[in-house]
Amino acid sequence: MKRLGLIAIMVFGGLLFSISFELPDLGDARSPASTHVSPYYIEQAIHDTSVPNVVTAILADYRGYDTLFETAVIFSAGLACFFLLRITDRKAPKARFYRHLATGLTLRVEKGGRLPEDTKEFERIDSAWVPSDVIINMTCRLVVPFIQLFALYVIAHGHHSPGGGFQGGVIFGAAIILYAISNNLRRTLRRTSERTSALLGSGGVIIYLGTGLLCILLGAGFLNYSSLSLVPGLDPVSARSYGILIVEIGVGIAVTAVMVWIYYNLASAGKLDEGL
Amino acid sequence: MSLLAVVFIVTGLFFFTGGTIGILRFPDFYSRLHPAGKLDTMGVLMSMTGMALYTVQDFSLAALFTSLKILLIVVFVFITSPTATHAILDAGVRAGLSPWAAPEKGNTK
Repeated sequence: MKRLGLIAIMVFGGLLFSISFELPDLGDARSPASTHVSPYYIEQAIHDTSVPNVVTAILADYRGYDTLFETAVIFSAGLACFFLLRITDRKAPKARFYRHLATGLTLRVEKGGRLPEDTKEFERIDSAWVPSDVIINMTCRLVVPFIQLFALYVIAHGHHSPGGGFQGGVIFGAAIILYAISNNLRRTLRRTSERTSALLGSGGVIIYLGTGLLCILLGAGFLNYSSLSLVPGLDPVSARSYGILIVEIGVGIAVTAVMVWIYYNLASAGKLDEGL
Repeated sequence: MSLLAVVFIVTGLFFFTGGTIGILRFPDFYSRLHPAGKLDTMGVLMSMTGMALYTVQDFSLAALFTSLKILLIVVFVFITSPTATHAILDAGVRAGLSPWAAPEKGNTK
């Protein structure tokens, strides 16, 4: 089997290599891409989609399929991390340790004992417990809202400036990961649970796919947003602009959720219980 | 205005240079963090302020907004960079790295 795989890789690699000689040179002014493809986008994108940023227009509209499958690839990366790392049948630890925050006393609760209720008076301690640091905590509390705001700005402003779903999603995910680092994983999981991140990750891809399917339902090709102009008050050009925005939001949600999901699995070695 | 901006940027570059030399020359982790955190913060503060002044010199609303954004970068770097240094140093202490001490006399290698 391994040898078969090697042969297949050699054959296809050789084919790719031999074909690559036929490709036009880098920066060749007479190549088809430079003579009529790029000029069309540069000149017509603003009339077709009313999006000033040509990169966004190409990414989410002209090359919509490409971006759809990119989003799917990111989601499947999250899935792969989940299936490789996640340990579901973990054994309950023999004893758990809790620290009373006011007095600093540590309680040892044997297996089967009654655990303290989820209050602010006790703090669970495990092998990778770190004492919370006031300076880091306060700074992150100060900075995280601004990072999230900036992420939303990057997603929403992708039409006009560099940015879009992928970049904004990564920034938003980084904000949540920063919260997890500065506090602890358990508190973060209470706010953004694993289930939430998985559902949001698939939800983002479904938003993208659903927009494409909606275009079919409204009587145009897959991901041809101009058909959304059946919604009253939209002409085909601005419909394409709004279609791009919806798709970018979907991408942003998916990327955020997958970033957080991968972090959860990596940081706690798949246990989501111990760690950080 | 332009002259003031240049003075600010040059001061920032001076701090950057000092920080770089410090990172290269100091003997251990903790003392290297000192120039890395402190002089970087000061260098960014100075050179970014200089750039904000440089942007705003032909005055318009757009230029004002741009320089305000630059000043926002300064504010955030000023808050986060010392915190990052603190966190790295804390991690070093917690990992059990002992600080460098001067070699005793007569024990030079």
